[in-house]
Amino acid sequence: MVIVNGEPTQVTDGQTILAFLTARQTPVENIVVERNGEIVRRVDYDTTYIDPNDNLELISFVGGGR
Amino acid sequence: MQPTIQGMPISTVFDGMKTRNVQDSTTKLASAHVTIAGAGGLGSNIAIALARIGVGHLTLIDFDQVELSNLNRQQFKLSQVGMDKVTALKQNLQEFNPFVTIDTAITKIDHDNVASLFADADIICEAFDDPTAKAMLLDAASEYFPNKPLVMATGMAGVHSSNSIVTKQVRPNLYIAGDGTSTGAEGLMAPRVMIAAGHEANMIVRLILDHPTV
Repeated sequence: MVIVNGEPTQVTDGQTILAFLTARQTPVENIVVERNGEIVRRVDYDTTYIDPNDNLELISFVGGGR
Repeated sequence: MQPTIQGMPISTVFDGMKTRNVQDSTTKLASAHVTIAGAGGLGSNIAIALARIGVGHLTLIDFDQVELSNLNRQQFKLSQVGMDKVTALKQNLQEFNPFVTIDTAITKIDHDNVASLFADADIICEAFDDPTAKAMLLDAASEYFPNKPLVMATGMAGVHSSNSIVTKQVRPNLYIAGDGTSTGAEGLMAPRVMIAAGHEANMIVRLILDHPTV
């Protein structure tokens, strides 16, 4: 099972990070993904496939500040 | 004759302004270079805190101009409405502490120019309002400067409890302050924005003084 933000999560087999984020209906552009301790470059979201043993941290941002 | 500031010898002013700084902090602070991305509610408050204690080199980056709607939380004056934010902020900082080197850039930060804009920084400070820009900076900084500390903020809107704003170390070089949830649509006001700015500024100071834990 893939771990997402510490929670075991069912992820469709062979899903890319982009497809996974899109399916969660979260604003993809406001999220940075850490996969097994490494930041995944945004340009690689659609070519990085999630492995069942992956540990993902979704670092998400909300507005307000400047 | 020795040069003076406000009628006092420069050394008297410099030393006097540091009297209440934490012991043995002044030299390290003076040799640090912090680049602040955004000169609004977060950035202006962070910059003032860092300038007051004598962080030696600040770079301020923002493409925007001061507007009336900024004045409920951003450290600008009514007389500065219409000025470029970084120019107005530099002016204010120099009045608080003339011993800080301040560079400004009036530019919109994007993924590509992160490589050049932050090359000289010891610490990168994110002070945007736009969540997409925050994510962009983390993405780009992780690519170009994986070993530079990055201090960010998310969630400081509304009038929620002060105590819901915390600083978290998310990765070895990544610190994020805020409540994580409150968005700008709720309204943004000086007290709570200043709390988040204080979190960022203090984390930066801790990093400069070799206390890399939150």
